[in-house]
Amino acid sequence: MFRISRRYIMAYTLWVMGMAFLVLGATIALGSEETPEPTPTAPVGDPSPLHPVFTFLDADGNAVITANTPISTLKTCGTCHDVEFIRTHGEHTDGATDRNLTIENLIFDSQEASSVEMNCFLCHIPNPNNAARLSTLENGQTDWASTATLLDTGFVVQSEAGFAWDTTKFTTEGELLPDVVTIQDPTNDNCAACHGVVHTQARDPLVFSPCSSDESEWTTLSTGQIVSPQKILNSGMNIEGKAELSRTWDVHAERVVDCVDCHYAQNNPVYYTEQDANKPDHLIFDPRRMDFGDYLYRPLHEFANEDDMRGCENCHDALNTHTWLQYTERHLAVLACETCHIPQLYAPAIQTIDYTGGTPATDCRGVEAGDGTPANTFITGYEPVLLPRTDENGMTKLAPYNLVTAWFWAYGENGDPVPLADVEKAKATGVNMTEALKTLGYADARILGETRPFQISHSVGSSAWAIKDCQTCHHPDSRLTTSIALGNTPTGETPQFISDGRASLSGDITQTDGLLLYTPQTQSDVLTLYVFGHSSASFVDVIGTLMFFGVVVGVFGHSTLRFIASRKLPPAHHPRKRVYMYSVYERQWHWLQTAVIFGLIFTGLIIHKPDIFGIFSFPFMVEVHNILAIILVVNAFLSLFYHVVSGEIQQFLPQPHGFFGQAISQAKYYLGGIFKHEEHPFQKSPEHKMNPLQQVTYLMILNVLLPLQIITGVLMWGLQRFPDLATSLGGLPLLAPFHTLVAWSFASFIVMHVYLTTTAGHHPLAGIESMITGWDEIESHEETSPKPTGNEPPSENVPPMATEPTAS
Amino acid sequence: MQLKHSKYIWIFGLLGTAFIILAPIVLLVSSPTEAKTSAWDFVDQDRRHTSHATLITGEFTTGSEVTQTCLTCHEDASHEVMGTAHWNWKGEPVLVNDNTEPIAIGKANLFNNFCIGIQSNWAGCTRCHAGYGWTDANFDFTNTENVDCLVCHDQSGTYVKTTGGQPAEGVNLLVAAQSVGTPSRMNCGYCHFNGGGGQGVKHGDLDESLYYPSEEIDVHMGQYNFLCVDCHKTDDHQILGRSISVSVDNKNQLYCTDCHQDTIHTDERINSHTDALACQTCHIPLGAVQEPTKMTWDWSTAGQDLGDDPHTYLKIKGSFHYESGIVPEYAWFDGTVDRYLMGDVFDPTQVLDMNPIHGSIDDPDSLIYPFKVHRGKQPYDTIYNYLLQPQTAGEGGYWTTFDWNNALERGSELSGLPYSGSYGFAETRMNWVLSHMVAPKEQALQCTDCHSEGGRMDWEALGYEGDPMYWGGR
Repeated sequence: MFRISRRYIMAYTLWVMGMAFLVLGATIALGSEETPEPTPTAPVGDPSPLHPVFTFLDADGNAVITANTPISTLKTCGTCHDVEFIRTHGEHTDGATDRNLTIENLIFDSQEASSVEMNCFLCHIPNPNNAARLSTLENGQTDWASTATLLDTGFVVQSEAGFAWDTTKFTTEGELLPDVVTIQDPTNDNCAACHGVVHTQARDPLVFSPCSSDESEWTTLSTGQIVSPQKILNSGMNIEGKAELSRTWDVHAERVVDCVDCHYAQNNPVYYTEQDANKPDHLIFDPRRMDFGDYLYRPLHEFANEDDMRGCENCHDALNTHTWLQYTERHLAVLACETCHIPQLYAPAIQTIDYTGGTPATDCRGVEAGDGTPANTFITGYEPVLLPRTDENGMTKLAPYNLVTAWFWAYGENGDPVPLADVEKAKATGVNMTEALKTLGYADARILGETRPFQISHSVGSSAWAIKDCQTCHHPDSRLTTSIALGNTPTGETPQFISDGRASLSGDITQTDGLLLYTPQTQSDVLTLYVFGHSSASFVDVIGTLMFFGVVVGVFGHSTLRFIASRKLPPAHHPRKRVYMYSVYERQWHWLQTAVIFGLIFTGLIIHKPDIFGIFSFPFMVEVHNILAIILVVNAFLSLFYHVVSGEIQQFLPQPHGFFGQAISQAKYYLGGIFKHEEHPFQKSPEHKMNPLQQVTYLMILNVLLPLQIITGVLMWGLQRFPDLATSLGGLPLLAPFHTLVAWSFASFIVMHVYLTTTAGHHPLAGIESMITGWDEIESHEETSPKPTGNEPPSENVPPMATEPTAS
Repeated sequence: MQLKHSKYIWIFGLLGTAFIILAPIVLLVSSPTEAKTSAWDFVDQDRRHTSHATLITGEFTTGSEVTQTCLTCHEDASHEVMGTAHWNWKGEPVLVNDNTEPIAIGKANLFNNFCIGIQSNWAGCTRCHAGYGWTDANFDFTNTENVDCLVCHDQSGTYVKTTGGQPAEGVNLLVAAQSVGTPSRMNCGYCHFNGGGGQGVKHGDLDESLYYPSEEIDVHMGQYNFLCVDCHKTDDHQILGRSISVSVDNKNQLYCTDCHQDTIHTDERINSHTDALACQTCHIPLGAVQEPTKMTWDWSTAGQDLGDDPHTYLKIKGSFHYESGIVPEYAWFDGTVDRYLMGDVFDPTQVLDMNPIHGSIDDPDSLIYPFKVHRGKQPYDTIYNYLLQPQTAGEGGYWTTFDWNNALERGSELSGLPYSGSYGFAETRMNWVLSHMVAPKEQALQCTDCHSEGGRMDWEALGYEGDPMYWGGR
């Protein structure tokens, strides 16, 4: 048997009372003659273990039971607590508690401070009656608002005559009896009274009204956030793919993290955290704390939130838990935790509210056809849109939001909203609305649209439900740029974006056949992200492709000509001799570099265009690419060392003397001589392996392209370790396309390089063979060349060594 | 020396290349996660069994004739069975309570708070005995032909036993004998789902819903089609597993962790619970998932003509009530219990715990387990202050005479436990560990089931200062 918890009973009772009260209010409003049922008395919560008994006082400081006056929280609670301090240090204590900050209230109500006394009971007793409270506000009985909140405690009863205190709950002096003092810290249910769907019982199926118009559920309505420890599959709602949804509505609720555990009173000594910056060096721990007594006298009611809140990173060590994620720091620098950890909302959220007809017409996203009842509405949920959010430190990260668009009649220069009552009046006339509103005194009436962002930080899934697939974002159809529908535009205009002070748009609102769509961009005024696999500078790929295929075409043409020429003219047999051309080390570094460069181009291509190579794992390719890059750099440096120490580096250095002449003759050979099987103008030898054209080419590749590629690569890799350097050099948006362009150059070079090896020897594969075996057969231009002394500098006049190397 | 002239230079080349390649890989690639043991590694999934359809012929008129036929090939089978509790209804002698001499205990000589005890009621109770003819104290436990092979091995589904364990009239023994195979859920369930005189009465986690369970009832049998013997592994007819209703020690016991090894939860916080919680505690959120189980049984109201209702009252049995979807009771348990033995004197003003659980928060070997607790009221001797054995079944038993004094005298005579002639009814409780009906993991307990106001655990009763989430664990 389940034990039905007190909270559940209270929540249920609250609901029953609320409904009863609404019915009551409606009945009174309709002028019905029927006598409303007396409100049933609900069970009172457990007595508070600590809170002392106290006297209920009215605004004049008299006991309420003697005068039957409304309770004054300022007087009553003010007996012990510094209520003036609390009132002036809290978001919930002045006006804001009157009404939720719904779009309707934002647009149509001026947000002036309220004259209503702050209501302590709404948050500090287990069973506040919010509906009764709101009802007194609606009816202008503002004095009775706090009293009405107590309706479910049994301290007070309501009849047609009004509120009456139940004297049996008090001493004759008006002091509350000890066993009915239920003052407590705010529970999730207290917060839920105004802040949306909060459900505390994991095993009682959660049922809520999808896309209701209940203002007290605004947080859920505006975002789809639901706080409950329940697994979604155990809920009572009709949700797409529900059977598979073994995640809970909110992992924090699941793990018994209550609302006030994060949104705590900031001077609560329990949550006091020492700032390292303020701590003297000689102290490990500063034991000085505010006394609990002081705290209870003056508790700050500015609850930790947004700026000052313990954000995700204050409790969670993201770096150490994301070791699987490549470029962790980089990801954490540009993505809010919520972006991956709240990938989907499983409740509907408002998309548009249309006030142009007076009565608001609400349209929700994440819900399909249905009659609006919990049982008969099919909920699909929705993917929140990602907007750049700039935090108090100026850091901009992508974070999930819902966008709610409101349309309403506005007038005058400032576009002030036309009160809904007047819109209804104008509508009732049945004539043109603009005209009708004009008659009502609203000049220049027009429909305005406003789109507001609503941040999503609750309904977090456990890690297993976070976005982990790289290609969710690293893909042309990136999650980062997934658009969100904003409903239809009634005017053909796009709505104006009204920021919450943190969020901005990084893309455009477009419309197709009246349907508005916001599509984020990764690069805009507020955001410059280069997302591998998603972003690319298309001109780089155009240039690269042209270069690459240009070379391929050139090679194809040249080889075709060679082929035709060789058929017409049998190859001339130049005298040849075998020489040991490439040392073991030269071959080793050459082939290792070959393999690595092929690997780099291949993996780089996959990282660049993951959609084309879907079968490869993106993160694996990134890892392989990085490892190959290290191998390339190490190999390059070893090779450089070898060439410098052995002096072989001279081979790469063009000799100024006669350089141009030789280069031209080499070029001429490629353009003409080669087809006639002429001798190579440059005589290859172990000491002179390269012709002038090769020297220039390698000089470019090894001194320009390779370093550039290494530097851009290292900077890109280091973007998370030393971001400032890379950022100062233009960041990824510049580095990445550059890296790509150089990669294209390498690819083109390889085609050219491989082709030219076929021109080097006496038969097409001779060049490659020599790089494998080390032995080459070279043309012997002079039969009787003298042996080199070894001291002479290489010169075109000195024939290279013409004999096989001998063992020493 | 020039490098190129060494014959083995290529070895250095290869080593150098390998080093250049391997160093960054070793440097960058994180060690792969350790390979985990799969629970399937411990499950024998080969259920092949030789068909006996053509091997067995002839006509059988008694069960013993079938057994003789079995023994012609399976020569040791009867001897093996005769060494088990399925035959003896007693285990190996063990130290019980504060006794210094080991004693063999079991169904044969223990009381429970359901039908109380078998002595003097043999014929009725032994319809679930894996043998033929145990109708009184003189049953021959050494006769190999009395072993009943079919009750466990019949796969025809037509084999039914009756008084004294004999095959019911009309059972075609040849068909049953030809069908033999590995014991199925039907075979085990025939007795174990029906203990206490009806399905689901006793255990709270075993009832006929397990013949063909949905995965919601039992994830092993429902989702993966397990047989009982997949977990209750059997060697030479010795079946793994013990129940604290009849055993006090935990030798030959089986555990979830026999198959589910390693760190099986990915979540650190959940894993930290395994120091204090048995698997069952979270994974069996509710007992008697579908079919109700008996929660109370009050014999003292029996014998009246109150109008029989099989759910609440029977003249022969007294009043009782059943519940399904029971929230278990939780206690520290080290796997062993004490046991009320026949003749033990107790304080009738207190509730007599017939199998008090051993375990405490201070004992590192104890874990919190879920229990079904059956509460009863049964006859005891008000002079001698011990529980009494009534004869209920059979001629002259309480169920025909409705005369307690007579039933207790007859029971005393046959059991040998003296009866003073003065009886009353004592309150008793009996603990049953819930280990079957493991729920799908989605239905396992969640944090808030225990760590919340009105949660399941009575922390202070368990020995904690308060919720260990706030007060710290043991």
